[in-house]
Amino acid sequence: MKTRIQGNKASKYLLILFAVPALLNFLVFRYLPIFWALRTSFYDYSLLAGFRGFIGLGNYVTIFQDSAFLQSMGVTLRYFLYYVPSVVILALILGMFVSLPKPGVGFLRAIIFIPVVTSFVVVSIVWGMLLNKDVGMVNAILQNFGLPRIPFLMNTKTALPTVALISVWKNVGYSMIIIVAGLKGVDKSLYESAYLDGASSLRIYWSITLPMISRQLMFITIWATLQAFQSFVPIQTLTGGGPNKATNVIVYHIYNIGFNFGRMGYAISMSIVLLVILLLVSIIQMKMFKRDY
Amino acid sequence: MLIARRNERILKNILYVLFFCLITIIFIFPMAYVFGNSFRNTQAIWRNAYPFTLKSFFTIKDFTMDGYLYSLGLTDTARFQGVNITRNLMISLMSSLAVVAISMFVSTAAAYFFARLPFPKKNILLVLVVATMMIPQQVVTVPLYFVADFLGLINTFWALVVPWYSSPFVVFLLIQFISDIPYELDEAAIVDGANRFQILWKVILPNCIPGLLTVGLMEFQFIWNEYFWPLIAINRTKLQPIQVAIAAQFTDRAQNWGAVFATMVLASLPIILLFLFAQKYFYESVASSGIKG
Repeated sequence: MKTRIQGNKASKYLLILFAVPALLNFLVFRYLPIFWALRTSFYDYSLLAGFRGFIGLGNYVTIFQDSAFLQSMGVTLRYFLYYVPSVVILALILGMFVSLPKPGVGFLRAIIFIPVVTSFVVVSIVWGMLLNKDVGMVNAILQNFGLPRIPFLMNTKTALPTVALISVWKNVGYSMIIIVAGLKGVDKSLYESAYLDGASSLRIYWSITLPMISRQLMFITIWATLQAFQSFVPIQTLTGGGPNKATNVIVYHIYNIGFNFGRMGYAISMSIVLLVILLLVSIIQMKMFKRDY
Repeated sequence: MLIARRNERILKNILYVLFFCLITIIFIFPMAYVFGNSFRNTQAIWRNAYPFTLKSFFTIKDFTMDGYLYSLGLTDTARFQGVNITRNLMISLMSSLAVVAISMFVSTAAAYFFARLPFPKKNILLVLVVATMMIPQQVVTVPLYFVADFLGLINTFWALVVPWYSSPFVVFLLIQFISDIPYELDEAAIVDGANRFQILWKVILPNCIPGLLTVGLMEFQFIWNEYFWPLIAINRTKLQPIQVAIAAQFTDRAQNWGAVFATMVLASLPIILLFLFAQKYFYESVASSGIKG
């Protein structure tokens, strides 16, 4: 039985005052930017000249005919294909590994998680230097072994996978901890009975462990997808979208068009398109996981 | 049979040690690289760059604090060139602490409202709050610029604080923590004649200190490491938080590499130490996000 403080109706409505400061923040800084962006997307708008006239769906029509936007979405999609499977598979392997009852796993968890708490700017710069063609340590090691030096970030073929790899190094610890938490919740007696039934460890893994952590797998997949579509820091600090637009991911493209080219209305319309795409992708992924398990 | 099993165990242990070392190298070396080079000057860094040997990597022959002194504006050259990141560090520290302090009150009050207080159609409000967690932050950063500009926040210290003083994710996590507190404690306080505010202050807050630590550390790390938002919201060098200052120092033409490394250490060490001393709370914030996702 819950006791309730009795009060008149007015004071009951006043209770919302507890939530008002936080709700105000969400209204002004989370919802308002989206509505503002929606409105702006119907105008020809630039940073310097301001609103210059209503153009209806003009921005949206232009976006889907704009080769630069389509090129950037292509880069983003490729980045997504490099990044998401790598993060999910590595998080799964590392999560299993650091869940073993062995000495030193706490240490491993900590060092894998340190990049997560470190800023992406620092991580990007460090890897930018390590992978530098002329002075980087990775290339020095390659040369030690008699291998050719690789211009990781300066080559149109290798730049995007390299940026994806840097992001994996930075973020995998987060997903790993989610897997660790998921594995902790798996009922140990399930393993024992399967083992007694003579199931192989691979079979146990496939039929017991994976389904038991399907929620965590769903979460890290969606999380990694959102990150993949929003990659910005390593691009802005290391490649500037280059070489030859090979790493021109969409958030960087939007930033570039808006702030460096001053076409703000157009940049904001692209934000709206990206927002819709991301919401759709998240919903589709959730549906797919629900169907499987 | 017994020998075969013992051999298998030895093999497994060797594999464990190998994998352990591999992970350690991949995650420790980049950090050691930054830390070591922060105590060298530019010439020594390049001299050690090739050939790569463990000796050149770990050498303390060129030990110097010049990078740190220069970054902190304590040498004549630095004073002459106007280099001093102390100010940027302070801005990052002040804005992070301000966000955490305000959020402790605002977000906890909102979470208390959602977890405990009667209010008509409260669930609809909660759905609206949770829905904002679906908004990809980097995508709406550009639109957020205009809302902040309208409010006169751009190029002020408050641009770093006001948009983030509460977060839907933090409110959501705190609701879970508060729901775990037995309602009997509230009832006992009501019997003693406490009002809602006194219950929040004397019953709820003291009982969700682990929860507050978890979200507090999470927010501190978020604001300390944030880059995209301050990059566009602040363009006065004197107001830049440390992450933006690092990127500027990195792209600066007349680079002092020892100083770049020293700045990265100064910007990362506080948050890494915080993590090492409070690992439990960092993992907790990650794990609970995975479960709720």
